[in-house]
Amino acid sequence: MNDTEEKLWNYIDGTCTPADRAQIEERLITDVAFKQQYEELVLINAEFTTLELDEPPMAFSYNVMEQIRKQEALAPLKAKVDKRIVYAVAGFFLLAISALLLLTLSNLGWSDNASPSVQTGIKLPVKLTIPDMGNLFNGVWMRYFLFFDMVLLLFLADAYLRRKPKTTAFEK
Amino acid sequence: MQSKFTDIQLITQVLAGNQAAYALLIKRHQRFVFTLALRFTKNREDAEEVAQDCFVKAYRSLANYQQQSKFSTWLYSIVYTTAMTHLRKKRVDTTSIDDEALFIQIADTHGSMDANLAERRSRSYYLNMAIEQLLPDDAAIITMFYNGEQSLDEIGEAMGLEPNNVKTKLFRARQRLKEKLERLLKHEVKELI
Repeated sequence: MNDTEEKLWNYIDGTCTPADRAQIEERLITDVAFKQQYEELVLINAEFTTLELDEPPMAFSYNVMEQIRKQEALAPLKAKVDKRIVYAVAGFFLLAISALLLLTLSNLGWSDNASPSVQTGIKLPVKLTIPDMGNLFNGVWMRYFLFFDMVLLLFLADAYLRRKPKTTAFEK
Repeated sequence: MQSKFTDIQLITQVLAGNQAAYALLIKRHQRFVFTLALRFTKNREDAEEVAQDCFVKAYRSLANYQQQSKFSTWLYSIVYTTAMTHLRKKRVDTTSIDDEALFIQIADTHGSMDANLAERRSRSYYLNMAIEQLLPDDAAIITMFYNGEQSLDEIGEAMGLEPNNVKTKLFRARQRLKEKLERLLKHEVKELI
């Protein structure tokens, strides 16, 4: 019974195999009860197509748009900043720090008077002469640099504090 | 008033910064999304909340929409998962969603409260009442197939099922709907079908 009905539904939907289709069409001519069942299902199918959609409240679309506007207004600055800008800033700082490190190392005074007891072959500096960085830290540019660092730190702290746990409601 | 733009054209406009185009997309799909949400929640307040949530989620994820399927199919997949999440939350709060009797009771109460005699005798009234009594999955499949103009493949995509499973589920859902309808109409069913 169920199998026959399932086959008939597939026939009505047009999803049955060509072999099943031919078999059903042949049976529809010869079997009166089968034809009656088919006609009943066609009527039910037509009835189902008359199912009506419910109407949402009048202000539905307005409410959705308002919700979107509110959420956009509350969105942290992080969401609005292009990631490329963040990467460029990070790259700039990495370069600046590397350059500063290289400059410092190249200005170190190295001596080859290695201790005879160690005998490692590694040239250890006996007397380090640290370059005078005082001028750099007193410079106007360094102040700007530190100020920018501070702003960036505050921005990152803000982004961290606003972070919400991710939901996996509909994402596959 | 229906917009002359296609869904894809409207999405392109939204992504270009025209937020008003999204309002047109909402207007185009709101009835179906709301109905589908209603099939799960069984009450209008919750359905409105779920439907609104779906449109907000869709807006936020619009840039991720790959256009490999119809926008409606993608949107219905959001409705399905959002509604299921809503039901799970409700189940924790109240009772089991598998309790079919609960839905029958709700639908019957609803029916006895606001139905007048003329409505009671209309075909669509009984049909809508019968679909309200179905389990959410069955009601959703029937709605997507008959109202959403979705193929079995598309329904499968929206619900995360194989097309063959959808075919079987659709068959069972139709059988149950037919049974509910017959039970509701009793002797009148012969007159109706």
